[in-house]
Amino acid sequence: MRTIAEINDKICRGQAVVWTVEEAKAQAAERGVTAAAKLVDVVTTGTFEPMEASGAIINLGHTDPPIKIRECRLDGVLAYAGFGAVDLYLGASQVAEAGRLGDSLEGDELRDRGGGHVIADLIAGKSVQLRASGYVTDCYPRAALETTISRERINQFYLFNPRNLYQNFIVGVNGGDRPLFTYLGPLQPRLGNAVYSNLGELSPLLNDPDLQVIGIGSRIFLGGGVGYIAWEGTQHFPLQKRLPNRTPVGPAATVALIGDAKQMEPRWVRGCYFKSYGPSLMLGVGVPLPILNEAVLAYCAVRDADLVAPVVDFSIPRRVRPTFGLVSYAQLKSGQIAIEGRRVRTAPLASQYLSREVAIALKQKILAGGFELTVPVAPLPADRKFIPQDSWGAEIDVS
Amino acid sequence: MPITYRLAKDFNVAANIIRAQVAPNQVGKLVVELSGDIDQLDEAMEWMRDQGIGVSLVSREILIDEEVCVHCGLCTGVCPTESLKLDSQTFQLTFNRSRCIVCEQCIPTCPVQAISTNL
Repeated sequence: MRTIAEINDKICRGQAVVWTVEEAKAQAAERGVTAAAKLVDVVTTGTFEPMEASGAIINLGHTDPPIKIRECRLDGVLAYAGFGAVDLYLGASQVAEAGRLGDSLEGDELRDRGGGHVIADLIAGKSVQLRASGYVTDCYPRAALETTISRERINQFYLFNPRNLYQNFIVGVNGGDRPLFTYLGPLQPRLGNAVYSNLGELSPLLNDPDLQVIGIGSRIFLGGGVGYIAWEGTQHFPLQKRLPNRTPVGPAATVALIGDAKQMEPRWVRGCYFKSYGPSLMLGVGVPLPILNEAVLAYCAVRDADLVAPVVDFSIPRRVRPTFGLVSYAQLKSGQIAIEGRRVRTAPLASQYLSREVAIALKQKILAGGFELTVPVAPLPADRKFIPQDSWGAEIDVS
Repeated sequence: MPITYRLAKDFNVAANIIRAQVAPNQVGKLVVELSGDIDQLDEAMEWMRDQGIGVSLVSREILIDEEVCVHCGLCTGVCPTESLKLDSQTFQLTFNRSRCIVCEQCIPTCPVQAISTNL
């Protein structure tokens, strides 16, 4: 029907037709998929949700005399330093704590903070305290560094997120008798509440279930700036069981994302903290789907009633937790689901309001001609297994 | 004057100090939660007024910082009175103050610390 090159040509001429995913679903319902697919070039999807498998690469620039960093804290949050001399990786879920480096921040100031907050502060243009100790060598004689950094005063500052945009997820409940504090927030005992973290029909990867129009190299909206799909995400599991509409019945595909944090906007990058679980990063991510043919739009037309997620009991703290079966996203978004005949209130964890705003912001960038689509340089793998890590003990040679 | 001591000793009223701002030679301010028999509470407040202490009643309220809120909706699942809800059209958080019983379960639930109380 159309190629990405033709779509980009229309974007440059200001003639591209771009719909948000909500508009696309409405148009497909009203006109039928065939007629709607003839009209639209690009459908924009967006999400705004906690993505703890995220982090930032930072290159500080060299000091004089130079230092090879052994250990480094940014506002009390430990950053990984085991590669280039002044290269750092700051993980979103790293907990702030008073360290051995004589941090001046006291316990109360560090409470409820972590790597996600430091990343968000840097993107908001704030200064961040840095304390580092060095591994003294002939090349790098300096033993310690104490300074403040901001995003203007460092070389590279980009997010490299090993796992984002989970294609579907689970619904958390607590069938036990004490409150649980989880990565889905507090779960009240005796099935007191249920929390779902995926957006269902708005979720980017549920609108391209077999990852046919996105792949490695796809340009995306990341935190308000431009980003790319860098690789398959960790725990990428495309072989998850799927419904006839090709959408998975539980956590499936994931992607690794990369993008220049210096271009990002504080509105779309927010530190967050889950009580008695830890810090994370809320991130706005938008994925444009080129409507290359009618089948692509047919997948975008999927509705919440046709998407399901498993209800998982967090009171059993094991890798495989018992489930209460599948519920549809239409049920989840109605505010209550029935579990074993009981009414259980549901609450989301992803912001549907800001997700919609991401899809609108991406649509506007494309309409303004400032955001062209890219042809993936390689597909995302379709055959990854989900391997558990079991302890096999030391291998003993008995021969 | 040892106010909370007198409240306890003379009126059998328990005073839970929520906030205090007390300095030498200045008018101080205490925010206290009083619990006890309703008649004795009235007597205790009358006694305080007789001592020249300005007494005013405030009720604890939930405050939502709209600049900070990301409208994720996580708080709506722990709100027992459904005072906190997502608007079905805009998906923005709405708060019905008159239904709120100030149980405060939403405060630690909020992942971006947008919810607090006025005290």
